Formats: sequence, C-alpha cells, structure tokens
Amino acid sequence: MLKIENKADIFHYRALLFILCFSLFSLLGRYFYLQVIDFERHFSKSQVNSVKALTTYAPRGLILDRHGEILVDNYPTYILTVTPHDLEDRDIEFEKLSSIIDIDLEELNRRYKKYYRGRFLPTTIAKNLTFQQISQIEEMRLEFPGVQYERSDERIYSPILNDAHFLGYLREVDRDTVPKLDKTLLYRAGELIGWQGIEKEYEKELRFSKGVDYIEVDTYGREIFRLSDNNIPAFPGKDLSLTIDANLQRFSRSILEGKKGSVLVSNVDTGEILSMVSSPSYDLSVYRGTTSENEWNDLLKNKDNPLLNRSIAGLYPAGSKLKLITVIDLIANSLVDPSDSLMCTGVYIPPGSTNEFRCWQEEGHGLVDLNKAIAQSCNIYFYETVQLISLKDWTDTAKKFGFNEPTNVDLPNEKDGLIPDKDFYVKNYGRWGWSERGVLLNLTLGQGDILITPIQALRFINHIASRGVTPQLRLNLSKEISYYEKIEYPEKIWDHIWDGMYDVVNADLGSGWRARLDSSDIKLFGKTSTAENPHGEPHAWFIGFFDAQDTTYSIVVMVENGGGGGAVASPIAGDIVEYYINSSKFLAEN
Amino acid sequence: MFLDQFASGTTKDSVIRLFFIIAGLIFFSLVTLYSISDDPLSFNSSFYRQCIFLIFSSIVFFVVKNIPIKIIHDNSTLIFIGTLILCIIPFFLPRVEYTYRWIDLGFFYIQPSEYLKCATVVVVAKYLSNHQLEVKDNSIIIIPCLLTLLSASIVLNQPDLGTAVIIFAPLLPMLLWAGVSNFTIFLMIAPIITILAASNIIFFTVWAFIMFCFFLTFQASVVNKTILYFANIFTGLLTPFLWNNLADYQKQRILTFLNPDLDPMGSAYHIIQSITAIGSGGLFGKGWGAGSQTQLKFLPVQESDFILSVIAEEFGFFGISCVMLLCFLLIKTLLDIAFRSSDYFASLVIVGLASILLSHIFINSAMTIGLMPVKGLPIPFISAGGSFLLSCFIMIGLVINFSKN
Repeated sequence: MLKIENKADIFHYRALLFILCFSLFSLLGRYFYLQVIDFERHFSKSQVNSVKALTTYAPRGLILDRHGEILVDNYPTYILTVTPHDLEDRDIEFEKLSSIIDIDLEELNRRYKKYYRGRFLPTTIAKNLTFQQISQIEEMRLEFPGVQYERSDERIYSPILNDAHFLGYLREVDRDTVPKLDKTLLYRAGELIGWQGIEKEYEKELRFSKGVDYIEVDTYGREIFRLSDNNIPAFPGKDLSLTIDANLQRFSRSILEGKKGSVLVSNVDTGEILSMVSSPSYDLSVYRGTTSENEWNDLLKNKDNPLLNRSIAGLYPAGSKLKLITVIDLIANSLVDPSDSLMCTGVYIPPGSTNEFRCWQEEGHGLVDLNKAIAQSCNIYFYETVQLISLKDWTDTAKKFGFNEPTNVDLPNEKDGLIPDKDFYVKNYGRWGWSERGVLLNLTLGQGDILITPIQALRFINHIASRGVTPQLRLNLSKEISYYEKIEYPEKIWDHIWDGMYDVVNADLGSGWRARLDSSDIKLFGKTSTAENPHGEPHAWFIGFFDAQDTTYSIVVMVENGGGGGAVASPIAGDIVEYYINSSKFLAEN
Repeated sequence: MFLDQFASGTTKDSVIRLFFIIAGLIFFSLVTLYSISDDPLSFNSSFYRQCIFLIFSSIVFFVVKNIPIKIIHDNSTLIFIGTLILCIIPFFLPRVEYTYRWIDLGFFYIQPSEYLKCATVVVVAKYLSNHQLEVKDNSIIIIPCLLTLLSASIVLNQPDLGTAVIIFAPLLPMLLWAGVSNFTIFLMIAPIITILAASNIIFFTVWAFIMFCFFLTFQASVVNKTILYFANIFTGLLTPFLWNNLADYQKQRILTFLNPDLDPMGSAYHIIQSITAIGSGGLFGKGWGAGSQTQLKFLPVQESDFILSVIAEEFGFFGISCVMLLCFLLIKTLLDIAFRSSDYFASLVIVGLASILLSHIFINSAMTIGLMPVKGLPIPFISAGGSFLLSCFIMIGLVINFSKN
C-alpha cells in the first residue's frame, strides 16, 4: 500500500463539526418545542388515545310487500380482516385460519396480496363467515394477533322474488365516491350503499344510523371494559312496505317467463303499483360478491339485456294506443262527428302523393265509425282524420298525458321517452326533409320516432281510467298521495274513448277479445297495439283497466318482439286480471 | 474555537471514549427494548433478539478490527463489486414484504444494501487517495460520483429510497475532506438546491440570483461559468416533469410529509402517533414502561424506526438530550480520529463512515418529529434489527482498525 500522508485541513474539520452541531441542535430544538412548550396539547391527546372509539352497526331496514310479506331480509355474516403490522407470524396464523374458515392457504395469501393497502390498515381476507367460525376464532383469540372480524350484514332475497328489478341492490362504496355522498349518513369506504332501485331511492330511510362504543384497551389492544356513559347507540334502518302484491308479482313474473317484456298493474285510485315485472331477469344475489367474473360477463354481454329494468327504462314505439290521442283531438276540436263513417278499403293514398298506406287488415274494414275504428284499430280511419289536426295540437295532447317526461315513480334511472315535435324534426331531418302531414301519418299510429316506456303507458291508461285525475305512480305504500296535473276534457270525450275501449275487449270483432274474462262479470276496457320496429317482430302491447269492488285497476302488458298486440299481449293481460280478482288476498281485502 | 478542545488528547483516548459512547447508546437501546417487549425473555421478543445480535456483532467487530488495513485497501474494488452483486441477488429471489431488499437465510434476513454503504465509502476513499495529486482538478469528482450513483440506483430499484439517500450522504464530506476545491463542491450542491427551489417561483428567482453572485466570485473561465449557470437554471425548469416520474408511493410520502393531516389513518398515521408520543413525554417522561402511546401500541414500528419516540415518551426531553449528546460525541470522536489519522485513505474512510452514521441519526430523528418523510431508516446502535446493528459494528470496527496507525 502506498502510504499517503493525511493533510486534513482544520477548516474542513470545523466545517463538518459545524454541520454536526447545526443538525443535532435543530433536532433538539424541535424536541424541546414538542415536549416542553407544546406538552399540554400532546399529553391530553395521549390520554384520549388509550380509549378506542369503535363504530357499531345496526341492520338495514327490511323491504316488505303490501301485505307484510318480507321481500328483502338481512342475514348476519362476518368479514375477517388482518392488520399486517400486528400479525406475529403470518404463515402460521394463516394456516390455522385456513382450517377454521375452510379457505385454502393459497387463496388467503392471494387475497392478502390483492387487498394489501399498508402495514397499518386492515386488509379484508374473507367474507361471509358464519357465527360458528367467528366463535372458534374468538376462542383462540391469543393465537391470532392482528386478526379482527367485523359484522357485516348481507341482503337476502325472498326465493321466489329474487329477481325483481325494482328492488335494486347494494354496492360497496369506494374511496372516490365517499366525498360525493350525503355527509350526514357517515359513509366509509367499503360500506354498502343502495345502488339501484328501491335500495337507492330510499337509502336514507333504509340505512341504519351508526353508533359509537368507547372502550378502554390494554397493551394487547384487548378490551378491558366498556365506557358506556358516552356511547351512542346504533339504530336499525326503517322497514319499508311496498305497494307490490307479492303473489300477483309472482304470477305476472311466471307468465312472462321465457319472453322479453314488461307487466305493470296498478291501482288507479291511489297510484299504487301492484306488480312491476321486467323480463328477462337475473338473480339479485349476484351482487353479493360471490359471482365469478365469467358469470358477470355473461350477464353484461347477454343481448337480451337482463340487467335493464324494461318497465321504466326500456324505450319502445307506442303503437296504436296513441290513436286515442288523435280521437281526443278530433272530438275536442269538433273535427268529426263520432257517428260519421268512413270507408276503409285497406289502402290510403294521401292527397298529392302516390305512396300507399295500408291498413293492418288487408281487405279493409268497410264502413268504419269512431267506435269501430278504436275497437278494431282501423288504420285508414286515423290516416284520413289525422289530416285535420295540426302537429302541434297532436304532440301537445300527447305530452299532456305524460309522454316525453318521466312519470316520477319512486325509482332511479327512469327514461324520458320521446314525442317528436317540430323542433325535433327540423333538427334531425332538416328544414325541408319532412312534412307535417307525412309525419302525422306515422304519429297517429304511435310509430315513427315515438319512444315510450311501459310505465308511461301505465300513466296514460290511468289518466283515461280516472278521466283525467290520477295520483302519481308509486312503490312506497306509505308515501303521500300526490296527483299528476289534471287533464280536463268534456265527459263525452271520455265516454267515447271508454266505449271504444270496451268494444276492443268485449265486441265481437274487437282486437283485444282474447283478454275477455270468462269466469267473472267484471268488464275489462282495453286497447291493443302492435308496434312495428326495425329489430324484428312487432312489440305486442295491451293497456287496459277494470272496476272491481269500487276500485279501478289498470294493467299494461308489453311483449318485446312478441307479435300482434291482440294475439299475444291480450291473453296475458286477461290471465293476469283473472288471477288477481280471484286471488284470496284480493277477495279478503275487499 | 472551543469545540477544538475536545480534539485534545491522543487517538487512544478517543478510541476508549468511543467504547463508552457506544456502550451508552446500547444501554439506552436495551432498556427501551425491554420496556416495549411483552415478554422480554422469550425468544421472539425484540429485546432477546437484539441481545443475541449484539453478541454475534461483537464477534464480527473483533474480526473486522484485526484485518490488516492493507488487505482492505488493496481489495476494496473487489469488496465493492462483491457487495454490488449481493445487492442484485434479491432481484432474482422471491419478494420479501413486496421489495427486493432482503436475502432470506432461513434464520435471518440479510439486507446487502447495508454493507454496500460501507463498501462504497471504501472504494471512493481508495480512488481519492490514489489520485491525491490531482485533487484540485475538477474532473476528480467524476469517478466517485459515478460509483455512488451506481450503488444508489441499484438500491433505489429494490426499491429503497432511504438507503439510496444514505449512500449519497458521504460523498460531499469525503470530497471536501480530500481537498476538492470549494467551487466544485458548490457546483455539486447547487443543482440539489435548484431542484428544491423549483417548486416555488419566488424561491427559484431568489436562488437564481444568489447562485449568480456565487458564480461571479469564483475563479473560472466566463464560458464555463455561463454554461454551468444555465445548466442549473434548466434543471430547475425541468424538475416539474421529473416529479411526474416518481413512484406513487414516493409522491404520497412526500405529499403526506408536506401535509400530515391529509390522511390521518393512512401514511401520516405514523407521524401523528409519533409526535403525540414524543410530545406527551414532557421534560422527564412518563417513566420506564409507562408510556401509554408505546405500551398501547398506538406507536408503530416502535422497536426500530420509531424507537426514539419511545425514549422521548418514557424518558422525556431529558432522555432525548442524553441520546443526542451521545450521538454528538460519537460523530465528534470519529471526526477527531479522522483528523488525527496520519493516513489519507484511513482518514477518508472514517469521515465517510461518520457521515453515514450522522445521516442515519439525523434522518431517523427528523422523521419521528415530522421534519422528514417516513423513510424506514433506523438509528445506529439504538434501533432493533440484526442487519443494521451488524453493519454499524463493522463500521466502528473499521474505524478502530484504521485509527491504529
């Protein structure tokens, strides 16, 4: 080794000494500030720190049907979390845990890695533990440092009604969503929140209120005793009774089995919805977290779209039920005499055009008056007479009945639908790309650009059945009744419409004769529609109402791509009405 | 200067003093570990393990103490490369706690980057001592910088930001000690300050002006000075883009450090609990084994990263002052030995090791009182942990070994 003389400079020695003194004195200064000057504050904070505040939970409110049958219940499960820093030997503890909770070690390690957030933050490693498993872990408490469990209720659905879209589901809130939620409900990331349907709409009522337990802990973090003086108890959420009749819902559901579509039944006098079916459907328990990725993808990719609540968010052309809008305009403005007849030859050629517009009955209906035009749904009658109405009058009347706007039923994500007006046509077809006469030929049949939801059809039929004064549709039994805006027309208009709808079902050639009730003298009023659409077979519609024991009920049946309204939707409506008036609950209630 | 008075006495006195100082620190360590162990005499307690590590480390210490300095000097490059390879091995092993820092020996985890710190100091010292005559030449700094950068970048990828910072710490003191010109030293510090100042336009402007004044006073060609000056300014302007390249957890730590109240149960949890523990200790502390924060386990990683907080809670400001005094004396004694050493290489190594120890002390304490982001760096001789204790003993072994001539 080459020996080199050290020539360290006293200046360098002093420079390093200065750095040493400076850094250590600045540290000591900070310690002095914290420990002597700011002592009181930190000391009082440390006194509180040995008392832990534990959040306590209570069950979420149940959802019941109108007769008290439980539709959505809770069952207690536990989730298991570990705090990585407090684990003494992860491998040994996981091995013991895996034999108790019956999940293999590999899976536990996988979840631990997946959900690991930090050494001091609880990591969820298992869900849906039973009380027995928890008791077993509790017995061996000292062997599991760093392992905790929390109660977490899961929703359980009545087995026969586990696929009702309107019930909705719960979802875990994530960190990013929490700040956007109602502060007073005290959400924390990972907690469940109503995310769809009734669960979302009535979140505030259904959600429990959190409580706080103060406990003193020892050196192991074990509870020494509860300081019960300042505890805030947790309160369960309120139970919610729905207007739904569980039996009727089950029956309507079974009758739509294998079809796509929607059934709605309501009490016209109160706005209560007795049944709301959307088909195809899916088991709501897929949201409980045990669903595999494949099952999920199947649900999402299914072209029949089972996740969609067709009753409020499915958009369809309306079909000939909107002929009634034309009828109202015709009589209200005295444009035709209801007893005047037109000749239906099966073909209509608008003046100045060569296009042929055909009636659904190719050989024609012969002489047709207003009543027959409604009952047999004659197209030619309405092609001719709609020429007397202006587009604005027609769309205004349609909008008066609640089309083009949500019905405000108490469910989230309702669709508006569409009644195209002048602005719409100018915007979409250009100033000269359409003619008022031409579009009215489509509109009067409820075709063209018109889109409605089944629940809008329900509101429409309720307006007719109540002659203009009908309460808002609702699912919450205890919600106060409020009315839609009153629709005022002379009684004779309602009479003409009622007469026509009576004949639809009860006259010999009525298009909805298949809905006739054989076993009862209750008379059904109705209107069929066969809504043409570019996606295949026409949508089959039936809307109707009936009086039974001083109460008016209404029904909407829609079968997506089902075919003719008379052939497909009418018999379904008839069956459902027949079932309902004969069901014991209905009889007992009245 | 009165501080020079401590430098009086012989190197032999200093070595004896060193033994007493380290014994004092270890005493504090064991007393504290005994207090926080649930069952101090069981094999799994940190107290018991630390005792075993102490015995093992002492043996290694005596071995290192007696290796002839010539062997270390001549083989320093080999030692450096060997340690570097050890640091790369974990990348090919399964991860431990989500990082590539440790090699699992079954009974014991070894963290090779601990020894890379010493090896880098030794290899840099050897280079500087071999090129002592060119020390006034600016290009002398290139090789030491590259060596340090190489070590640091491997450690940074493990990832271990704390140790990477520590690897950089001895560079400037050693260059200063070696006699590199003040201008060169300034050129090395300037970019760091530039980057720190870049976050704020006012700081940056003031710093640009100060830097301009400095450049005026130094003697170098105008062209060189202009280029260097603007290189600094550009670095400052680029900093915001570099910031975006940091890992999320690194950004998170820095941001949490700037505003600890942001996320009280997340990353700032450590700092808040630590400050509460320290502050509640008061002048004389809550007494041995009576610290409520510590004993109730509100204080995290209390046996290593946050052991100073335990001392502060249980023994108060008085206890912390004793620890700080011991730390001061430790570094001071090392500097004394380095100053008096007749050998250039030995002197440089000792200054480098002293810098490592001081940065550990500073960063660890600053972290416990919220002056620095949480780095996970232990404090020498006090924190529990076998790998680190061993490396501290090796450092002191080298110092005593090198002080002999």
